[in-house]
Amino acid sequence: MAGGDTSKNEALSIETNALKRAVLASRIRAILPVIGLVAISLIFNILSAGKLLAPSNIKLLMSQVYVTMIAATGVFFIMTMGGLDFSQGSILGVAALVFCFLSKYNVPIAILGGILAGACIGAVNGFFYVKRKVKSFVVTICTMFLFRGAIEFATTNAPVQGDIVKTVALNNDRLKITITLIVLVVAFFFFRFTKFGKYLKAIGAGEKAAAFSGVETDKMKFWVYVLSGAITGLAAFINVIKVGSVTANSGSQLETRIMIALVIGGMPISGGSKVRFENVVVGSLLYIILSAGLVALGLTPAMQQLIEGVVFLIVVAITSDRNSVQVVK
Amino acid sequence: MPDVRLQAIDVCKTFGVIKAVQNVSIDFYKGEVHGLIGENGSGKSTLMHTLTGIFSSDSGRFILDGKEVHVKNQVEANKEGISIIVQELGTLSGLTVAENIFLGHEDRFVKFGIKNTNAMVKEADELLKKYGFERIHAADMIDRYNFEDRKLIEIVKSTYFSPKVVVIDETTTALSQEGREELYKHMKRIKEEGNTVIFISHDLSEVLSKCDRVSVLRDGVYIDTVNAADVTEDDLKKLMVGRELGEHYYREDYGEKISDEVVLTVRNVTVPGIIHDVSFELHKGEILGFGGLSECGMHELGKAVFGASYDREGSVTLADGTEIDSIIKAIKHSIAYASKDRDNESIVINESIGDNICLPSLDELGGSAHVLIDKKLKEFAEKQAKEMNVKMVDTEQFVSELSGGNKQKVVLARWIGKNSDIIVLDSPTRGIDVKVKADIYALMDEMRKNGKSIIMISEEIMELIGMCDRIIIMKDGRNSGEELLRNPELTENDLIAKMV
Repeated sequence: MAGGDTSKNEALSIETNALKRAVLASRIRAILPVIGLVAISLIFNILSAGKLLAPSNIKLLMSQVYVTMIAATGVFFIMTMGGLDFSQGSILGVAALVFCFLSKYNVPIAILGGILAGACIGAVNGFFYVKRKVKSFVVTICTMFLFRGAIEFATTNAPVQGDIVKTVALNNDRLKITITLIVLVVAFFFFRFTKFGKYLKAIGAGEKAAAFSGVETDKMKFWVYVLSGAITGLAAFINVIKVGSVTANSGSQLETRIMIALVIGGMPISGGSKVRFENVVVGSLLYIILSAGLVALGLTPAMQQLIEGVVFLIVVAITSDRNSVQVVK
Repeated sequence: MPDVRLQAIDVCKTFGVIKAVQNVSIDFYKGEVHGLIGENGSGKSTLMHTLTGIFSSDSGRFILDGKEVHVKNQVEANKEGISIIVQELGTLSGLTVAENIFLGHEDRFVKFGIKNTNAMVKEADELLKKYGFERIHAADMIDRYNFEDRKLIEIVKSTYFSPKVVVIDETTTALSQEGREELYKHMKRIKEEGNTVIFISHDLSEVLSKCDRVSVLRDGVYIDTVNAADVTEDDLKKLMVGRELGEHYYREDYGEKISDEVVLTVRNVTVPGIIHDVSFELHKGEILGFGGLSECGMHELGKAVFGASYDREGSVTLADGTEIDSIIKAIKHSIAYASKDRDNESIVINESIGDNICLPSLDELGGSAHVLIDKKLKEFAEKQAKEMNVKMVDTEQFVSELSGGNKQKVVLARWIGKNSDIIVLDSPTRGIDVKVKADIYALMDEMRKNGKSIIMISEEIMELIGMCDRIIIMKDGRNSGEELLRNPELTENDLIAKMV
């Protein structure tokens, strides 16, 4: 029997090795975005002769991160469930309009108004997605188009401005950092340490089975769209105090920026159990550094967009899991 | 020494860390029906899928008539003279019957770039007639036909061109007795033409009666090849499991009194088009069986009890008067449900074993603060998985990598972890091998003794007779009114007579 034992041990050690390799591969996969972030920062810093990471530029970089990062948090929840949201840019624009309008009366109410406006559009998305069973990308492309029209209508004559004195007074980094951190920490906590996060992942990984395990899938899906809209409504406030006004293009392409950020941050595009909250933070930073780096190299906006698009495509092609056939809902 | 038709030499295939097939070598002769058996996850299907190009093998060779074959897909396999009838649905919806039969071989009907649909339909109709399936029309969309008919069409599709090797993977369980006879007939014909049938089945008596030789795989390793005439079912079981199976397969007690305490009352439940006005009571500590033909409505009844039926009328009430009308309510009031559709409804397929086990119990695991701690979840999952003997690397492993039997163990582990009092099991041993089946029966018996009440819905008559205190037969969506009590004299025929 000695021979049998050796071959058994051999088989066991092959098995453990294979397991170790699999674990290693998944770890590498998890930290790849972080490596990418460091690498891209260094490369662009060298190429731009140190301009990219100069203290003054870092402040500028950070000011661009907030909106993307906050709005990406909501979309992160949606994409974890296997959904998509293309209406983020229009939500930001509409919420910013509402904020500007209300800021003439009272700033806190204006902030709440913006959040509420975002939540309402989220509710529209959620209604058609959940109750009418329309695919999420179809619904949100429609609302993107619809509300972009509304923004253009409202800004036909001139950009809409809020109460300049009150809003400019709020434009400081400390406030923006605080709000961003609060959003991230609260979202992280609920995603990681409560059933909210587990349920979202379960919906993304197998919706029907999740329902049969006691997850109220329809209710979750609807409210996550509302939540995501509300979060972007909050991001709209940050956007207005930075920019000062709303134009026909306010928030335009935010949805694409978010999606690129999440995907290069390591998020599987079909959501499910392999998503990690770090994807939001790393992805947003990676995206901002990438685009700022391209600016520092002196590329035109058109060229930047082209390169970002190519990067997006490559990352999606490399990371998408071809073995698990999943449909974006 | 008979002529060898096909040789598998040192075939290996791994999925991630799972070695599905390890250095398997088997010779298949000309003119034989060669059975391939093994427990779930023993590598039977995987081996055959590498032969027919559904998967690529990691290493090893297949030699067909002295020539190495290496096919990349089923169309190439067909060209080499190898075909397969797969375990799942192997025909494509949205195409006609004729298009399915000639899938990948349409070139024959193309002239000047235009497909001659009429010629294709005509030839397909002739084939169907030759096979004796006149009621199937080649021009129809295949979606019009039910699972069984589609399997018959697949038989035509994979044998009309007289392939040298035909693989039949676990097809008979999807067929009625009539369909099985048809399949056996064609297996015999293929054999008599001097070609080879490789026959995979869990039904050992079927394997023994239809095969000339039988090869056994266990855990991806080749065990032995035996002449069917020289062995018994028990010999095969021993080879599959690697040890003697205990005598206690089903429960053994008879004559125990069923408790008078009613834990669940189902009154006038109707699901339009599926169930009509079904009423029954479930007692504490009993196993209540539901049997019937596949379409008799018993599967939907399990969902109705669990609050998962759309459009249900009537009432499902607990002893304390609580009405169960949603899944959430059912789970909250200690009802568990394992669906027949395991991969879609019982487990979240793209999640880890741990996540799956914890999912229904998150409220309890969160405690009063509703905060989930990884360590606690992991301990819980490990404990439940270990209790059920789930064969796994660790609880981080994805359930999609597990075999059917192990998936079912995960399903049971999660509900046992939840400590549910009423357990609805729909086809709990479907597609599961003898060893895991025995485990599941033992577990059901133990739960029953602990005062849990079980509803067991099954198409396997023997397990209903072996496990249940009472059996209700359903017919055309109704309770047939016949109730069979636990009794050692009960036979298969008693039940069948009431089903049809």
